[in-house]
Amino acid sequence: MLFQGLVGLSEAMYLWLVAAGLSLIFGVLRVLNFAHGSLYMLGAYFAWIAFRISGSFWVALLLGPLLVCAVGWAMEFGFLRRVYGAPEPFQLLLTFAFVLIFDDLVKLVFGPVYQSPPTPAALSGAVMIGRSVLPTYHLFILAVGGLVGLGLWLFLEKTGVGLIIRATAADREMACALGVRSSRLFTWVFVLGAWLAGLGGALSMPVRAISPGMGEFIIIEAFVVVVLGGLGSLRGAFLGAVLIGLLHAYGLVFMPVFELALGYVAMAAVLIVRPWGLFGVREA
Amino acid sequence: MSPPRSISRRRLLQSSLALAGASALPLRAATPDLKLKKPIRVGCQTILSGPLGGYGEFMRKGATLAMEEINAAGGIGGSPIELNFRDEELKVDVGVKNARYFVQDWGADFLIGIDSSAVALAVGEIMPTLNRVLIVTHGATEKFNEDLVFKKHIRQCFRVCVPVYQDGIASALVAKDLPVKKWATISPDYEYGHTSWKMFRAYLKQFKPEVEFVGESFAKFGTVDFSSHISKVMALNPEGIFSTEWGGEAVAMVKQAKLFKVFEQTKAFMLGMGSAMDVLQGLGPDYPDGVWASGRYYFGYPDSPANKRFNESFKKRWDTYPSYPSETAYTALHAIKKAVEKAKSVDTEKVIEALEGLELSRPAGPCVIRKEDHQAVYAVPWGQIKHDPKYPMPTLTNLKVFPTDQYYRKPPFPPVEG
Repeated sequence: MLFQGLVGLSEAMYLWLVAAGLSLIFGVLRVLNFAHGSLYMLGAYFAWIAFRISGSFWVALLLGPLLVCAVGWAMEFGFLRRVYGAPEPFQLLLTFAFVLIFDDLVKLVFGPVYQSPPTPAALSGAVMIGRSVLPTYHLFILAVGGLVGLGLWLFLEKTGVGLIIRATAADREMACALGVRSSRLFTWVFVLGAWLAGLGGALSMPVRAISPGMGEFIIIEAFVVVVLGGLGSLRGAFLGAVLIGLLHAYGLVFMPVFELALGYVAMAAVLIVRPWGLFGVREA
Repeated sequence: MSPPRSISRRRLLQSSLALAGASALPLRAATPDLKLKKPIRVGCQTILSGPLGGYGEFMRKGATLAMEEINAAGGIGGSPIELNFRDEELKVDVGVKNARYFVQDWGADFLIGIDSSAVALAVGEIMPTLNRVLIVTHGATEKFNEDLVFKKHIRQCFRVCVPVYQDGIASALVAKDLPVKKWATISPDYEYGHTSWKMFRAYLKQFKPEVEFVGESFAKFGTVDFSSHISKVMALNPEGIFSTEWGGEAVAMVKQAKLFKVFEQTKAFMLGMGSAMDVLQGLGPDYPDGVWASGRYYFGYPDSPANKRFNESFKKRWDTYPSYPSETAYTALHAIKKAVEKAKSVDTEKVIEALEGLELSRPAGPCVIRKEDHQAVYAVPWGQIKHDPKYPMPTLTNLKVFPTDQYYRKPPFPPVEG
């Protein structure tokens, strides 16, 4: 039962990485990036290419997300920054266009068929207590998810850049008036968000089958997580992901028939009681 | 709405055939000229995107090969075949829309394909209105032949792939001789997954009353991580796992099951769709030895000239071994050719009569299309995965082939008790 929870948590970590980027970008840029799931997909594909060339999972894990950063940079610098002043539906349309473009590009380049790279031998072991098994890979994912969370917290709370990001998220106009060059900041925040999604994708590459459209499944769940936790709140995204992961893992055991609905029920409940999410800030 | 052109064309055709039939000198003995003066259009729908998109690719390749071969040899009664492919997306509304588009807008004479059981049932239901012959090449629910054709008499529906009898009953014939008493499943949370697990339980209980079914976990469509399902099921200490996950989902599940040491902790693992080419190729060296796998056709069976020829031309054309949707789509087009030439017409009613009881020697072996439920009856092996250096992918060994009357359910199809 404990292991079931840990397994659920490890599945939650992929979600956390995607949701963290989504939430960060929304918090600072005020743009809901529909294409964030596509960045996750690109992370998996770029990591797969890097793996095919280098033969090393670790190189793939490093290069895959970095390449997604480049895509993120191009998206923000070339397109998104032109619509910050536009009404929200236009921003959504633009990011949704990216979903379709990326899906079709991946299909054109890699074909519609899924790919399934091998699991790295170093991470193929497992911790066993009696008959209960927790794979090393899942422990690794838990560690990476935790470290990324810790790193983000330290970065935002303890560094000067983090302070500026938080200040801009809290009050964009005031931050600009005080001399923050928001356009450059926006680019870097978007790139950081893209890196987080890319990392999630790269981590999924050796254990899940990767395919065009894989981003569309995770983006829905990531939205649920972000709404649960509160738009723009990283702590909320983390706890939201953990909650969804545990609901999934234990829901399967205790109420398999309703398992699918549990996450959405939780979201609906939160929306009714605290429409700004568990850790979101109530709009004045 | 049915297109007016088909009615007038058919009338014209019938009368012209009656006049011309005797006098026309056939150019080729094998293909009498039907003087259709137009291509025979076959609308194909299959899954062409997402984690299961590999199936559609293999289906497309099989159908295309059959079309090229048939057209190169003079077409069907002098008319070339024309194919049109649409993505079924495994969605009922999309499947129904595709079928309507094919018949009402594109002018299809026949429909083939369909991977999802639910889509097969939904499209089957509207076939009387569309009034074309539909030949399903993959969707496997027994409700298609037992309910739609046998009980509801929807005569336009045919199927050339083995139904869940392969996954649910032939599997039980294999399982009864395995040293496993406690079974559990991880299967897809839709019609196909539920119906095959139900059959497996019902029939295995008959064959071996002491078996127990200790757990089940059904994963929604689009699942990429089966970790929670595996962890849940393994906590119930099963000795054997039965699964009907397929395509990329089967690949992901097997890889994750390996991480969870499932293959060390259980005595048997059965994967109903595990011998499909995309799974063999997708898992490659990661496919554990000894997994019991089957499908709707396996490229290595039977050892017959027809199968050898099919494998060779498929490899030559596509540079890969055929998967089962390739064989079933290939067979569907050959069945259409044979039936149309026998009926000397593309008229739906006449083709239905020609298809009923039709005998085919297909790559998968000799096959007959049952009159009562329009189901093609032929034998497909179960076997165990092994890594043979002669092949670029894992293959099957220890093949178990059962006579079809041992596992094809027969009319009047008593309810499955389970």
